[in-house]
Amino acid sequence: MKNFLALLLTLFLGYMIMSWLATNEFFPAMGDVDVTTRVSQKYIERDVNGNSEEVVFGEATNLESGPANTVTAIVADYRSFDTLGEVTVLFVSSLGVALLLGGTKQRRLELNFHPNFMLRVGSRALFGIILMTGIYISIHGHLTPGGGFPGGTMIASSMLLLYLADDEFRAKVKGFKILESTTGSAYVIIGLLGLLLGGYFLENLLVNGVLGDLFSAGMIPIIYILIGLKVGSEISGVIDNFLTEEGV
Amino acid sequence: MEIVSYVFMIIGGLFYLLGGLGVLRMPDTFDRIQSGTKATTLGAFTLLIGIGIANPDWLLKVFLIIVFIALANPIGSSALAKAAYKSCELPKNLVQDDLKELFGGEDNDSN
Repeated sequence: MKNFLALLLTLFLGYMIMSWLATNEFFPAMGDVDVTTRVSQKYIERDVNGNSEEVVFGEATNLESGPANTVTAIVADYRSFDTLGEVTVLFVSSLGVALLLGGTKQRRLELNFHPNFMLRVGSRALFGIILMTGIYISIHGHLTPGGGFPGGTMIASSMLLLYLADDEFRAKVKGFKILESTTGSAYVIIGLLGLLLGGYFLENLLVNGVLGDLFSAGMIPIIYILIGLKVGSEISGVIDNFLTEEGV
Repeated sequence: MEIVSYVFMIIGGLFYLLGGLGVLRMPDTFDRIQSGTKATTLGAFTLLIGIGIANPDWLLKVFLIIVFIALANPIGSSALAKAAYKSCELPKNLVQDDLKELFGGEDNDSN
């Protein structure tokens, strides 16, 4: 009886919500929306400040936002301040892991296996390929799908591979913290430079160039490479913290 | 040319199907590992070669992916098999066990 009542209540609520959605004039019916009047169209046509020309891949020069990839144009140019917040979220979470797990007296956890010769050599070869792919995706973030966050995660996954498969690497790796804080500070410094020279925080100071070139879009590739390095070193640092233990 | 590429892709898909079937139906861990990895390696190779024939521009990328799979898949499966040997129960109808003398036969913590 109780279940039946719950089902009835759910159906009633669902009917209410759906009928409200269908009749309310705030939500137009499907297919009635003119997409060309929405904000997304302005982003796609690089039309926020008023741009009457048609955007053509490989020809359009010095648009208001340079990246050929529209997602990157929104994430790292129109809403770059938001991305700085995202990077900060990641930084705070890695800081929390470091506070909880990484004490002053640290010891590497002894893993219960020794990788054999094949695993060691093969994972070194794979490490190179995965690292190159991650760097490639970070560098081409303004042209192709991807960017700093997936590229950085790939860099970190190559590090995880070496952590698991290589005893020597595990013993001697250091410097993630330094790289992480350097790249994070560089992002903020670029933003402050924009504020100083251009008048807005994270203002794009360099020329945008031809849409679709590797060297285009001004500061966006630099910012995305910094984000890639930061995310990669951050997640590698988290992995490093998980593989250490406090104590003597 | 198009038909050849489609034939390659279908063969690859069939190998993927056989690999999935093997993972579902094989009796123990090692059989599952061998059916899964062997079938997916060959399936991925033929599928990618089919894609490379269909789009000759992508041939170099396809070969890079094939090299990556050819490196990654055997190494990963061998690591899985070693972990399974250490932690799982061995199958009853085992014929030969070469790893026994390597690991000493008993549960030593050789780290």
